[in-house]
Order: sequence, then C-alpha cells, then structure tokens
Amino acid sequence: MLRLSLRMTLARWGRLVLTSLAVILGTAFLSGTFVFRDTINRTFDDLFSDVFRDVDAYVRSTSFVETRFGGEQRGPTPVSVLETVRAVPGVVSATGDMQAFARVIGKDGEPLGSEGNGPPTFGGIASDEVVGLWNVESGRLPAGPTEVMLDRATAEEGGFAIGDTVRVTASTGTREFTLVGVANYGDIAAPGGATFALFDPVTASEFLLRPGFVDAILVQGDGSLDDAALADRIDAALPADARLETLTGAEITAEVQGQIKDVLSIFTTFLIAFSWIALGIGAFVIYNVFSISAAQRQRESALMRAIGASRRQVTGLLVGESFVVGVVGSCLGFGLGILLSQGLAAVLAATGFEIPSRGLSIGVRTFAITFVAGLVVTMVSAVLPALRAGRVAPLAAMRDSAIEIVGHSRRRVVIAVMIAALGVAGLVAAANDAPVSVLGLGILGVFGGVLVAGPVLARPVALTLGRPVARLRGVTGAMARQNAARNPKRTARTASPVLIGVALVTAFTALAASIRTEIRDTLGAAFRGDLALTVESRGFGGIPTSVTDSINDLPEVDVATGVGFTALRLGDESRFAVVVDPATIPGLYDLGVVEGDQASLSATGVFVALDKATELGLGVGDALAVATPDGRSVDATVEGIFDSDSVFSNYVVSRAFFEGTTTPVFDNFVYVRVADGVTQDRATAAVAAVSSDLGIGTLQTKDEFIEAQSGSVNQLLALIYALLGLSIIIAIVGIVITLLLSVLERRREIGLLRAVGMTKSQVRTSVRWESVITSLFGAVTGVVLGIGMGVVIVATLSDSGVAGFTLPLTATGWILVVAFFAGVAAAVYPAWRATRVDVIESIATT
Amino acid sequence: MGPEDAAHAVVARKTYGSGDGEVHALDGVTVGFARGRFTAIMGPSGSGKSTLMHCLAGLDSLTSGSVWIGDVDLSSLDDRALTTLRREQVGFIFQAFNLIPTLDARENILLPLLLGGSRGDPEWIDRVIDTIGLRDRLGHRPSELSGGQQQRVAVARALASRPRIIFADEPTGNLDSRTGGEVLRFMRRAVTELGQTIVMVTHDAVAASHADRIVFLADGRLDGEMLEPTPTAVLERLKHLGD
Repeated sequence: MLRLSLRMTLARWGRLVLTSLAVILGTAFLSGTFVFRDTINRTFDDLFSDVFRDVDAYVRSTSFVETRFGGEQRGPTPVSVLETVRAVPGVVSATGDMQAFARVIGKDGEPLGSEGNGPPTFGGIASDEVVGLWNVESGRLPAGPTEVMLDRATAEEGGFAIGDTVRVTASTGTREFTLVGVANYGDIAAPGGATFALFDPVTASEFLLRPGFVDAILVQGDGSLDDAALADRIDAALPADARLETLTGAEITAEVQGQIKDVLSIFTTFLIAFSWIALGIGAFVIYNVFSISAAQRQRESALMRAIGASRRQVTGLLVGESFVVGVVGSCLGFGLGILLSQGLAAVLAATGFEIPSRGLSIGVRTFAITFVAGLVVTMVSAVLPALRAGRVAPLAAMRDSAIEIVGHSRRRVVIAVMIAALGVAGLVAAANDAPVSVLGLGILGVFGGVLVAGPVLARPVALTLGRPVARLRGVTGAMARQNAARNPKRTARTASPVLIGVALVTAFTALAASIRTEIRDTLGAAFRGDLALTVESRGFGGIPTSVTDSINDLPEVDVATGVGFTALRLGDESRFAVVVDPATIPGLYDLGVVEGDQASLSATGVFVALDKATELGLGVGDALAVATPDGRSVDATVEGIFDSDSVFSNYVVSRAFFEGTTTPVFDNFVYVRVADGVTQDRATAAVAAVSSDLGIGTLQTKDEFIEAQSGSVNQLLALIYALLGLSIIIAIVGIVITLLLSVLERRREIGLLRAVGMTKSQVRTSVRWESVITSLFGAVTGVVLGIGMGVVIVATLSDSGVAGFTLPLTATGWILVVAFFAGVAAAVYPAWRATRVDVIESIATT
Repeated sequence: MGPEDAAHAVVARKTYGSGDGEVHALDGVTVGFARGRFTAIMGPSGSGKSTLMHCLAGLDSLTSGSVWIGDVDLSSLDDRALTTLRREQVGFIFQAFNLIPTLDARENILLPLLLGGSRGDPEWIDRVIDTIGLRDRLGHRPSELSGGQQQRVAVARALASRPRIIFADEPTGNLDSRTGGEVLRFMRRAVTELGQTIVMVTHDAVAASHADRIVFLADGRLDGEMLEPTPTAVLERLKHLGD
C-alpha cells in the first residue's frame, strides 16, 4: 500500500510540491530558531571556557541580590584579600576582576554602545596579572589614574588611536583618559556588542566602584593541586567574617555560561514560541491542501472503490501520501531552517547584536524535533480528509469540479457557539482574577469556535465583501465574488491562517496602544516638571548622581530630582526598587503616596505599593528587612503607602539609604523644573551643557519625554510583528496553494470563458479579486476577533497597570490594507497559471 | 467563397509532430460557409472536423493557409484581438460544460456581452430569450436546469451578441434524442427566423439532417458535400466516406 501511495504521490509531483511547501515553511522556522539557539549557546559556552581557561579558582562575596532575567548583583570583594590569597601555597597569581558600568564617550560627544536595552557597556581591570580575559593586541596595559585600554571593536567604532584622549563615564562621574592599548576578549573583538573600558587595578576600583574593592578575585594555581583542593585551601585561608567563597574555575565557568544562557533563553524561547505558532498555522494550510486534494480526486477514489479497494485502503492511500509529504517536507524544511538561522544572525548583527561566529551548531535533537513535529503535523492534518476520501461511494457522481458540501450547517453553528461560549466564559473568568492559564484556554476556545463556524460564515461574508468588487469590476468581479463563495469550506480553511495571524497582530497592537495610552496618562499626571534627562538602562548604570546634583545647582534650574532603580532584597523577595531623593522630589514627581509624605522618606524608610502592602499585610510603621547586594541588611520601616502606576516598582527607597554602602547608585531619570523668569530654551541649553559634556542621556521636554516613554512599547511590538510575519507568510503561501489548486480544478471553466471572449487580463483580474476577497475575509474576521481579545486581555491586566482599552484605528486600517495587497500578491502566480490554460484541451469533450 | 461568406478557409493545413511522426490533422482544406445557412461538418473520428472548427473559430492556429471570419484574416490577429473577435463575432455551443456554474442562466446568456462591457441590444436579447422559451428559468443556476435546458441556454448565449457566425461542437452529444431534437429544431429556427449562421460539427446523421448543407471531411481533406440532407441519405453517404 505504501508503495502504491508513493507511486501515486510521485505521479502528481506538482501537488506534492505544493503540499510540501507548507510543511517546509512551517518546519524551517522551527529548525531555524533551534539551530540559532544552539549556535549562540555554544558560541558563548566556548567563549567563556576560553575566557576562564587559565582561571583555577574564583573568590567572591557570598552576598547577592537576584536581578531580572536570572542575573544577580553581588557584593564586592575587598582588595586586601588579594594578599591573603597570594600567600596560599599552590597559588601562582591572584588578581582583581571587575565588570562595572562604564560608558565610553565618542569623539562626537555621543556615548558608544547601546544606551537602551542593548548589550551592556562595561568597565574592568587590565593588568599583567589578569589571567585569561584580555589579550593585548596593540599598545600596552594601562598604568596609573589617567590611562585606559579599550576593546578592539569599541576602539574601531569610536575611531580611537593610541595616544588619543578618551572620555569615560562611570558611577563616580566622567573623566578623561589617554588610550594606551587595544585588546581582544578571548580571541574576538568584543562579545555580543558589549563595550569595555579597562584600567589598572587601583584606578578601576576607585573610578568604577569604590577604592579598595573589586568584584571578585581570579586565581591561577601552580598545578600542584587539583582545582577543588586549591579552592578548599583558599577558602580555609580567607578571613572567617569576610563573607567570601571560593569556586573552582570549572564552577564559575559553568555558572557564567548558565547565566548567559538564561538571558539568551528569554529571547530564544520567544523566537521558538513564535515558530510553533507558525507551524500551527502551517498545519491549517496542510489540512486545507489535503482536503482540496481529497475532493479533487473523488473520481479517482470512487474508481478505486469500484474496482475493489476497501474504505481503509482508500484512506490509507491518502495517509500514505501525507507520510511521504511529511518526510520530504520536514527534511527540506530542516535544511532551509539552517539557512534561516544564518539570516537571523545577520539581522541581529545589522541591529548591533553581533554574535561571534564559531560555526553552526546543528544538533541531532534539532533534526529530531523538526522531523517529528513536521511529520506528525502533516499526518494529523491529513487524517480527516483521508477518512472523508474513504467514505466516497464507489459510484460517486463523476462531478467535474470538486464542490464540498458544508454538511450539517446547523449542527456546525451549535458546536461553534458552544466552543466559543466556553471560551468566552474562560475570558470572563480571567477578567475576574482567574489565573492567566484560564485566559489562554479562553482565547483558544474563542479561536476554536470561530474556526469551526468559518465555513458557515465564509459564504455570507465573502458575498458581502465581494459586492463592491462585483459593482466595480462587472462580470469579472461578480465571478470572483461567486468563486470566493462557492466553496465555503475551502475559503474558510484558506482564510483561517490569515484570521489567526491577523487576530494576534490586532490583539498585540490593541494591547500596545492601551499600554501607550496608560503610560502617557500616568506620566502626564505624575510628572510636574518641564524637562527630563533619561538613560534607558534600568538596573545597570545610568546617570551618576553627581550629575543630577550639578543640574540641580544650575541657576537656570529651580529644582532637579533624580529617580533610579537598584536591586534590593526586601523581605523574602529580590526586586528592583525605585530610588528617589526626598529632598527634591516633592512637587516635581508625584509618587501617588496615599499614606505618609513623600518628602519625609528617611534613610531607613521604605514606601510600599498599596497592592503589595495588602498582599504582605504591611502597614505604615511596620518593619521590613532590606538588604543591599553587598550584604548590608537594614531593618527598614514602612513610612508610606503609594497607589500609582507611575512608579514602575512595588518599593521606593531614599538615595540616602545607600550612603556608606559599596552599592553604586545611578539615576535613570532626572526631572527638572525651570527657575522662574528663565525661558525653557535657556534652561534646556544649560542642562544640555552639563549632560552633553558628559555625553550622557537624552534631554527632552515634558511632552517629548512622555511620548518617548510611551513609545518604548513599540520596540517590543515591532519584534512581535516581525515574528508574526512568519505566520503571515505561511498564510499567504496557503492562499497561493489554494488558488493554484482551484485554478487547476476550474481549467474547463476558464477554457470556456476564454472561448466565449474573456481576455487574459480579465482572467487575471478574476483570480486576483477572488484572492483579495479570501484574504480580506480572514483579515476582517481576524480584526474583529483580535479587538475582542484585546479588550479582554486589557481588562484582565487592568489591575497590573493597564486601565483603559484603546482601539488602534490606524493600525487596524493598515492591517486591512496589508491584507488587501497580500491577496493581490498571492494571486500573481495562480492568475498567470490561469491564463496558461489551453482552451482547446479544456473544452475537449473526450 | 470569400469575404461574402460568414467564414472561409483557404488551403488550411494543420500539422502535428515532425518527420516520421508527422500527422496532418488538416491537409489543405478550402471551404466556405455562407451567411444565413446552417452547415454541418461530418466525418469519422480523426478526420479533422474539430480541428477545422477550432481554427475557424480562432481557438487554434493553422500551420499554413488561412482562415477568415468575414473579411478578417485570423492569422493577422494577436491573442487579445482574437479574444475580442470571439466575443463579438463568434458564438459557441459545446457538447458539455457550456455554462459557468457560479452564474445564473441570464448571466450566462449575457456573458460575452458582459465581458465586453456592453449591454447588447435588449430587444434582440428579449427575442432570443423568448425563442428558447426559458424566461421563467433565467434566475436559476446551471445545476438547477436539465441537460436540454442547459443547452438551450448555451444556444441563447451564442446568439446574444448577434455574432457573425456560431460554431456548435456536438451540441446534442450529451442529450437523449427527444431533448436533442428540441435543441436542433431551436437552432434551425435561429437560422430560419433570426437569420443566423451556424456551423455544427457532428457525427450524428439525424442531427446533421437538420442542416441545409453537410460538408464531409476524411483524413484532413474535404470529401464532398450534400445539400438538403435527409438522415437516410446521410447514413448512406457515410458508408462510402473516404472511398
């Protein structure tokens, strides 16, 4: 039977190619993202193995605070320990290690590297004792408080040559250095687009962190002991009260590799999730193609039954065909995916995330996942059509064109309404505080209901959408309209992928629009100043507080206050807390304090968000243990409760809280109120003179600032658009395939039309409008569904800061315009094929 | 024979393949079809009768020689001009699959006119519709019409643009003899009462006997003709075809 399937499949290789196309695309995205993930993971694994190649032991502080995305902020290590470690028998060398915030300012006054959410900008130590990390490429190591070394990529980007003056901003402010050397990290110019400014050990401590401290200590052994024994010996030598620990080289390597993997996995998981969506949408296309193919070969199936094939055998033939298609499609898709992963890396490199290439990492697992997923999706998609083919009566009407009857349309409506009702119930429950998984199931239910109802909806909706086409395009348009409506099942199945893609795009757009409005409203209410200086690097670096102070001191400025974020452990949880200056903040930025006074926040006080306070049962006057990354723990007092969406954290502490700790404090926002009698322009110029002298931050008016902050959502939205683009491509390919099969099926009709006087351009017009109507059917239902989902999601999220729903009117309009042109584009090839129909052959009666 | 005919062919040759495998579907046919007459083309399978019709109708092209509709040499026209010519000057009736399933009877009848963006002559169309006697079925789709009714709609479509000539390819081939007779009598009326020109390809002697004249074809060559045919005479003639 399989051999027969194979023969029959190969005999119609045109159809095989079409069916496989959907499988190929669906699996290509999957394999592409897996290969991409494995490749960057292995690249970073190799990189850090290289970097820690000569590190036998690693001494660091035991106190830390976890930060977002699996990272951590650890307490510093005193330099005094270096001597202790060096004295341990078996240690050849020990040196400080540092990875702190430092931003190199270019010759044009603009900082190098990303200021936003891109790769970090580091400051570190370069000395002849530093093992592993840096290889000097040209020049020499920095020595003394006025010398710096840069990584090669940064030096090249900034156009710096040895001897040039380089300005660098760090937690203690901005200084000028002389470039004395350029180095490679491991054997590459710079990893992942990060920038590095390197100093001698003393300068690094004093400039980047605090005199007398480093992040950690790198140790090289003499080889007489294994790493574990060496680490034990160092541990024993460390002062008991120093709160330090010693890791072996292998341990720290594995830990860093794990951390970078965690950070990358947020991105790659996102990618992979969208590839699964793409494959799911591909499943619809595959199902559609098999359904059409089964309907078109009805005659063949009937003949098989007539000459004695059993139902099971006829079904088996189609299942066999799906097996062949699944195997071929998955293998080709896997190959295409490898190319795609390269494309993905190229796109990232173009946007500044250079991922050092160490060759592709193509795992057996990736192939297995791609192959199995492709094969299973293909065969499952083919099961229903195959069963239907088996049910064909041996003497089935030898109908010329395959018309599929929508059976039991009432039953279909009832089932659709039931599924959708369950979905809506889930959504309503989710809106009333049910878990997020209920929201997901609810959305799935509504989608399911709409998809089941599709064939019933297709005819009336297609006819309605086609009415203006018929009016505009005369008989050609009328035929396009009828053709789009003639096979409601087929139209619905073809439009389904468009529907899903458009619904997701619309929902995300609506959500983003609502978040934007929310940010705009709350910031507009909270921010009472005139100007804002912003650095988008939450949690790592920012505006040195000394800069904020000097802006506050400007005569053109009435008052300026800084707001920052720092990782803290509060009670049992590690969180980014908002750090404010209570002396300057009143009247300039409203925290929305409902209990207490934002001016009177003390050095050991903390404000807690209302929801959080309720959750933890905290009230004003209660104690809350707060620990900084360096291990200092303070019994803080809750001094106020705030209820505002303009504080992007659950906790607020004073800048004074960090006095005397080694935790660097930066501001991310500096809010400015212009002094009376000073024009905004003059004040702007004065503040800009300070900030641009430091090459730091973006200075904006209140309106610009609010617009920029609310626009930050657009970045994420753009990424989501790009990823959903994969699904949209598959949906368009689905339309192309269906149109092609329909055109082949209607050869006779097209031949007749050509005979009685339809011109080639009229044939093309007719196919094109049929395509547009189908595409718009999917888009219109998708938009309606997407807006519905958006409303529900916004309602669900309303207690996490998003209050009102904003209808993205312009975006919705664009979606429909894009769907229109997608329909036009999808029709190009099928329309051309339609004009190639041989008139004589198609009207021949025998 | 010449431009005064509705259509004519001059030494029409159509060759498929080359060398030893060369087949002459038409081997130098010269024939004319007078206006206002009902002509049948008869011949055994492979005699070239369908090829001749396809070439005369501008659906297929000759290897050499020429075919004319009125005073237009079809070989001088490109695809677009040929399409327009078929739409405006030629009517078609095929054996089956004559109608577009998504259009109703009226739209099918008006199809060539609609494709050309014209409304035609309403009086004439009314007359055609009355003649085929399907006024009450005009809003129906082809699937709701019987085989005979479908063919009558096809005839009406062929007549709607009042073409110079109508080509019919086995128009009764799929019908029983009673319904077939109805359709043929109707075609007869179109010629006699409405003054149309019809050329019909058939191998059915009874069908051919409805024509004014029969042109016989064998092996791609003209093989005589018969005027005022009767079924018996046609059958007798067919026995000796190619002798």
